[in-house]
Amino acid sequence: MNRRKFISIGLGVFVAAIIPSSLSAVNFRDTKPKAWSLMNPLKGKKVDASSLNGINSAMKELYGTSTVIEGKVKLKAPDIAENGALVPITISSDLNAKTVALFQNANPEATVAVFNVPANGIVYYSLRIKMGQTGTVTAVVESGGKLYSATRVVKVTKGGCGG
Amino acid sequence: MATKKTRIKAKAKNGIVTVMALAKHPMYSGAEAKKLKVKQNFITYLKAEVSGKIVYEVTSSQFFSKNPYLKFKYKGNKGDEIVISWVDLLGNKNTSKSKAK
Repeated sequence: MNRRKFISIGLGVFVAAIIPSSLSAVNFRDTKPKAWSLMNPLKGKKVDASSLNGINSAMKELYGTSTVIEGKVKLKAPDIAENGALVPITISSDLNAKTVALFQNANPEATVAVFNVPANGIVYYSLRIKMGQTGTVTAVVESGGKLYSATRVVKVTKGGCGG
Repeated sequence: MATKKTRIKAKAKNGIVTVMALAKHPMYSGAEAKKLKVKQNFITYLKAEVSGKIVYEVTSSQFFSKNPYLKFKYKGNKGDEIVISWVDLLGNKNTSKSKAK
């Protein structure tokens, strides 16, 4: 019995030692696999870009709520994108953020990216995304258990998703 | 695939390092893959580390543009060695490094 107890204690210590390092690395595809397959609603054969339901349900899956506070987040996106295959997006914020997520409703799936902000990290993320058509881009910053967001409508003149 | 490198440029200024990275990857989304008759494949996870500490971490999707260009900032100094590694849907991996100037 004693030996068994000793082993289980050892195992517990081992697991405890592993947890901190795994906390810093988060692949949201493993922790929230469902959030990546949530579809934007369709209108006929095309994605309905006037509906925000896809974005809201993806947000709910990721954060448990779709209630957001507008503001405190800067989302830089072009008003008109000539080429939907290259839409430059910049998300920045002074908030002490835990995660940052980017959604849109121009493509079949709503979730584009989820950033895990390291401790003391700076929220300044620039990337280029594809948009199949004109649609809404929403950036959400999770900070202190609350969600802050910014939204932009990007007009796409040429679709970028094989369309 | 192994020869394709991520191009990294990093500049330090006032304790903040700005990193620009260009990962070489076709990023085939479902519709594009169907059209080109290739397998859907895109980078699913990318991270940047400086001396073992993660400074940037993103779970990505097929809606990143081809050859994803990423720009970010972190608190660091000149001479930091930035290691960027990614993994894609088919399990391919790549690791590239560069020093902050």
